[in-house]
Amino acid sequence: MQAKWKAALIWLVLAVAGFYLINELIVVGVINAFIENMLVTIGINIILATGLNLIIGFSGQFSLGHAGFMAIGAYATAIITQQMSNTLGFYLSLGVGMVIAMLVAVVIGIPTLRLRGDYLAIATMGAAEIIRVVINNLKITNGAAGMYNIPALANWPTVYVFVCLTTLMIVNFARSRAGRAIQAIREDEIAAEAVGINPTKWKLAAFVMGAATAAIGGSLHAVYIQTIAPSDFGIMQSISLLIIVVLGGVGSITGTFVGRNRARGAGHGVAAIWRAADGDLRLSPDFDYGVQA
Amino acid sequence: MQTFFQQVINGLSLGSIYALLALGYTMVYGIIKLINFAHGDIYMIGAFWGYYVINQYHVDFGVALVSAMAVSAILGMVIEYLAYRPLRHSPRITALITAIGVSYFLENGMSFLFGANTWNFPQVIGQARYTFFGVTITNIQLLIVAVALVLMVGLQLIVQHTRMGTAMRAVAVDQEAAELVGIDPNHIISFTFGLGSALAGAAGVLIGLYYNSIDPLMGMVPGIKAFVAAVVGGIGSIPGAAIGGFLIGLLETFVQAIGLSAYKDAAVYIVLIIILIVLPAGLLGKNVKEKV
Amino acid sequence: MALLTVTKLSKQFGGLDAVADVDMHVDAGELVALIGPNGAGKTTLFNLLTGVTPATSGKVTLTTASGKVALLGKRPSDIAKLGLARTFQNIRLFSKLSVRDNLQAAMTHRYHENFFAEILRLPAYYKKEALVGGWTDALLREFDLTAVADLDAGNLPYGTQRRVEIARAAATAPRIIFLDEPAAGMNPEETAGLRALIEKLRTDFQLTVVLIEHDMSLVMNLAERIYVLDHGKMIAEGTPAQIQKDPAVIAAYLGGGVHA
Repeated sequence: MQAKWKAALIWLVLAVAGFYLINELIVVGVINAFIENMLVTIGINIILATGLNLIIGFSGQFSLGHAGFMAIGAYATAIITQQMSNTLGFYLSLGVGMVIAMLVAVVIGIPTLRLRGDYLAIATMGAAEIIRVVINNLKITNGAAGMYNIPALANWPTVYVFVCLTTLMIVNFARSRAGRAIQAIREDEIAAEAVGINPTKWKLAAFVMGAATAAIGGSLHAVYIQTIAPSDFGIMQSISLLIIVVLGGVGSITGTFVGRNRARGAGHGVAAIWRAADGDLRLSPDFDYGVQA
Repeated sequence: MQTFFQQVINGLSLGSIYALLALGYTMVYGIIKLINFAHGDIYMIGAFWGYYVINQYHVDFGVALVSAMAVSAILGMVIEYLAYRPLRHSPRITALITAIGVSYFLENGMSFLFGANTWNFPQVIGQARYTFFGVTITNIQLLIVAVALVLMVGLQLIVQHTRMGTAMRAVAVDQEAAELVGIDPNHIISFTFGLGSALAGAAGVLIGLYYNSIDPLMGMVPGIKAFVAAVVGGIGSIPGAAIGGFLIGLLETFVQAIGLSAYKDAAVYIVLIIILIVLPAGLLGKNVKEKV
Repeated sequence: MALLTVTKLSKQFGGLDAVADVDMHVDAGELVALIGPNGAGKTTLFNLLTGVTPATSGKVTLTTASGKVALLGKRPSDIAKLGLARTFQNIRLFSKLSVRDNLQAAMTHRYHENFFAEILRLPAYYKKEALVGGWTDALLREFDLTAVADLDAGNLPYGTQRRVEIARAAATAPRIIFLDEPAAGMNPEETAGLRALIEKLRTDFQLTVVLIEHDMSLVMNLAERIYVLDHGKMIAEGTPAQIQKDPAVIAAYLGGGVHA
């Protein structure tokens, strides 16, 4: 009982301290607008990547469609804040985006999560592309031109709070009954079924949870960047998120934070080659996203 | 009816390109279980090589095609040697990310050298149109389909009737067992990359001739579509990849013909998902069940 | 009272009869062994009963607290929830999870945790975790795994992994437990330990046990009743003493046909 309060307190202190540190650095001018912008982008990517890590790292399902759910959140916010351009509108749109993303995740997940490894990757990638093509052709989303002049309803503290909240929730999810069930499926699906874990149900739970966080990331992206277009949410965006997750260490939440910084610092492609050649990917040694031997 | 056959002709031409690319994906996947994301970029390099030799040395189409195949084959083998071989015993996702890295490297490298704009592919073959019963077919379309078919038959002969082909199939089934009977898997994997990349290079020159324009990012979308084609056909299956390629080409053309060109990519992915749900291993793939 | 009844159960792979018209019953509290030469279909029979492989025809009923339930056609996870647990011939642990998490994963269906309590760490979450922690600690003690509770299951020695797998099956709170060659690859010392463990499953956990095993001394000493499977057919059933004298069984093990 003592330990749990201690851990919670440490995290709270760290979160508040981090907030004050950034705040002070902005006040004294060490963090200028450029760095602040970069930090916010990093924060949004942390939100997106922790959600993807839940799907890939913890439940072992190789999804390449994260950008699709991000797009849903971003567009929900862009459309709703056109009518309600205030904070209430933003939080409403955030909720709407999450709900739609979760529903879409259920529709996509039920048929595709039966697939394994690369087949699942390619199917989820296709599903995300379908979402993107639909957005590209709708009137309400303004087609390929995208949406601009989205009200700036999020600043760095908003993003900071959401980074803390989503990370906390995902860590808690991963370290509980649900987390044990999805990790058991990742380790051995047949054995997991033999001990009463329904793989379809739990894989879907992780997928839907990941989709919800992607929608949060998308909503924040929309109100922070203020301009979105379907081309922002293509395959390359999904792949970038995958790279962040892999560089940080599949199945490691702290890694998602670090990986984000590395990928930004070195440029995706170069970082990937360099890190891979270095043999220093902090993956579990025989992590394999498929069952094929 | 005329429009229908017209679309079949167009679809087969486009499908030939996808099929040639899909073969490379399926062979590499079959042998080392790697989605070689850089494959589409080898096709781009093949197109640029064709552009270069035709403009610089004024060679004819045949020379351009064959030399592009050779250059692409060498490039494919070099990439395999430098980027993938050191990762042979690493987690598969490491190799996958590296493939993405190689793809970025080729795309950005070529953008750096040639700029991101499009280049007009020299028309070494004067276009001629033939009309049969109201269906127009160009000599280039005929050429594309013919070259693709010849290469596919050639590939099938190599894989089924040569020692190298037998070794390839052996390594694909069980690399360690193949090694025990004296096959060097590194040679075979290198050969596979060479073969697949040569086909991609040929596809690059053919598409340059067909669409007239090439650019450093031209390999991205067709690369992914070709991978989809390989999956639809049953990854690891050579006839499957060919069928998948033609299927995706025809599908895209028909969706475009009925006025839904904005949705043609979505249609491809919908068909992909439906096929995977019905046949989880694709049309001709073998569904391997895990032994308990 | 029959806990598990198997009637005319068959499975064909292609044209091959892997399991043909098998009849079998297991009473509550019994320890039944299933023996037979390699390739006789023993593991296939386990796979049919646990839902891993769909059967071609037949009937399997399990008596539960709420009456008789037909098992065929149910998902493996639902069969496990009804109280039928198993181990695997080639050990299938959740290798990168700790021993404790292996056991707790197997308890997933035994309790419910509210999603919001889970992600927000509300008091209800801690209450549930304390409950499950208690179950786990007890199991760890019973199976002598307390010392390795926080190690990754995949890094443990072979004999310990077998024990973890049995403990994991027990963690699902089953009525009946199927052990697929638990003594395979064990040294005599470990086999003796295993024997004590199986007896513990019966006495302390009140479980019904069905055992596939090639170690005949273990089978003959432990089992109350033995079924013999050969080429997918049940060729004999009886007490260890009866089975040892059965000509059909002797013929099957010596490789000849019954009428040879």
